[in-house]
Amino acid sequence: MTFSLKSWCTILCVLCFFMESPQTHAGGRTAQNVQSAGLGKSIYDAKCSSCHGIDGKGDGNAAALLSPRPRNFTDGKYEFRSTESGSIPTDEDLIRTIKNGLHGTAMPDWDPFIKGDSLTAVIEYVKSFSPRFASEKANPVRIGATVVSSAASVAAGKRVFQKLQCAACHGVDGKGTNAATDEFMDDWGYEIKAANLTEPWTFRGGSTARDIYTRFRTGLDGTPMPSYKGAATDREMWDLANYVVSMGRKPVWSMSEEELKAFYAQLDKMNEENPVKRGKYLVETMGCGYCHSPIRKDGSIVEELKYAGGQHWDLYPFGNYVSYNLTSDKETGLGGWTDDQIVKFLTTGIRRDGSRMIPFPMPWTAYAALKSTDMKAIILFLRSLPPVYNKIPLPEKPNIFSYMWGKFRMLILKHDFPLTVYPGNAGTTKNGDVSALTASGQDLAKEERQ
Amino acid sequence: MKKALKWIGIIVGSLAVILFLAFLYLIPPFYLVPPEEFVKQNSAQGPSLDQIKDPVQRMLAERGRYIVLRTDCSGCHTPVGDQGPKWDEYLAGGAKGIFGENHLETYCRNLTPDPATGLARRTDDQVLRVLRSGILPDGRPTYWRRMPWPFLSRWTEEDRYAVLVYLRHLTPVYHAIPDSTQGEPFADPNVTEVAYGADYAGHKSK
Repeated sequence: MTFSLKSWCTILCVLCFFMESPQTHAGGRTAQNVQSAGLGKSIYDAKCSSCHGIDGKGDGNAAALLSPRPRNFTDGKYEFRSTESGSIPTDEDLIRTIKNGLHGTAMPDWDPFIKGDSLTAVIEYVKSFSPRFASEKANPVRIGATVVSSAASVAAGKRVFQKLQCAACHGVDGKGTNAATDEFMDDWGYEIKAANLTEPWTFRGGSTARDIYTRFRTGLDGTPMPSYKGAATDREMWDLANYVVSMGRKPVWSMSEEELKAFYAQLDKMNEENPVKRGKYLVETMGCGYCHSPIRKDGSIVEELKYAGGQHWDLYPFGNYVSYNLTSDKETGLGGWTDDQIVKFLTTGIRRDGSRMIPFPMPWTAYAALKSTDMKAIILFLRSLPPVYNKIPLPEKPNIFSYMWGKFRMLILKHDFPLTVYPGNAGTTKNGDVSALTASGQDLAKEERQ
Repeated sequence: MKKALKWIGIIVGSLAVILFLAFLYLIPPFYLVPPEEFVKQNSAQGPSLDQIKDPVQRMLAERGRYIVLRTDCSGCHTPVGDQGPKWDEYLAGGAKGIFGENHLETYCRNLTPDPATGLARRTDDQVLRVLRSGILPDGRPTYWRRMPWPFLSRWTEEDRYAVLVYLRHLTPVYHAIPDSTQGEPFADPNVTEVAYGADYAGHKSK
């Protein structure tokens, strides 16, 4: 033989070297050199920090508006793992989450943009936020063979569903009906929802029976969903997973005409029966919080004053406008407005004192298109907001000369004036800090730094 | 006779000035069109969805239309002229904003399905990703103050899909939108964002 075993090994090694897999295996420790740490940080800062925060605390500038909240990496506590409850995740777990995203949340599928060495580097960087990854070892649980779904397995799973009292959180039908509560909190005190088991496309960790089984086996750390390791046998968890898969309904993009018609009719009925829930959905998706909360210089909203107004807009030449307090506070918020007054304002821009709001920046001209049931739902939800005292100044009008000159420039000379937004709270809160219109941004930013 | 003419001239002249000033003072701010009319126009925008043959697509598009209306996508994505929003450029983008501490000058994108300048260039996944996570087709995240995606992220996936279907059925408008550029720092250091309403994209014809 011209080739010895040794030379075959050499050739194989050389081949392996050139066949660098695009999905660097998590076991590969390529990321531990300094260069790679720099790569991880640069990718993290550019792509991840606006939600997860520059220090990994889950406090990026968009974080306060997201539900569920972006993960706080400093605790090393992760929901979607293949490891025992309370344990850190494996690299493969983190890779899966970054590549596929978390369905039903703002976490996107990064697969097209973060690959190979970049992916490894960013994972090492994310892990570096928590000391747990240096001192602990990830112990993947052994997941046996898939129990293939069958009528018997699904029926058995239904019994397990009752035995483990899944309905207490997920409802008898998997979508919350007759659940003991629909208010859940994660370990950080943020609002989360129980999964709607009829909508598999919203399952964060994937919707195959194997994914679902893994959730039962390992639990969702940081949430009220425990591991059922001791409470159910392996077989029971597989049956339950098959049962949950069987609960899935068709999404609207796969429905026929009749199905869609029936689905929307049912949805409308549900919305009418739960107006506060509907109102919450509308207010949170229509972006009321964009203006009706003060922002800091970095763009993050001041959470204690969410919906309490105070964002200051300069609309030259029409004056300074401060967004109104939408909370139920009697003195300074919508608590002092009747339903009719709110409806009148949202559809015609006429305030309760009879004065008119210009058609911008408050887009009441668009809200006039709201259905009356949705309008009522929004009002009911706003009334359910806890009162926050934040006295909002009336629009500050310019003097008549500057107003006329501004309008002349705008309408005749065709100058396009900018809407200017100032950070900070321009309202007055209970503890009496009267923030000057422009100085407030600085004050708040200073407070934040301390 | 001459004196009388002079006085008439003065009276007519000053009347004209007074009328002009009164006009300037009284016309509704921003638009020469009264807001009530603007409300009507606003909710009448968008293509006629009756033309969509597939009943499923039609129902989804109707749903999407209501969501787009109540979310006021048009407030930013339709440029503003003297007469209020330019409805013939409905959702065709072009308004300018300068945002954040790095003063990035950005332009509202063209949401119509124009093959050269609009959303027809983007796949469903790309559009949905922006509406869910604020991630642009090239993988860059969007500052949320510039495009308020965290609110749209709270839509159910099914509502988001309905919006996509509606956007796909808008009337295509050729409207090339410039890329974002580095803007000048603001004169007032307290300011972190400014927005302009007019069309800054310029060229509208092929």
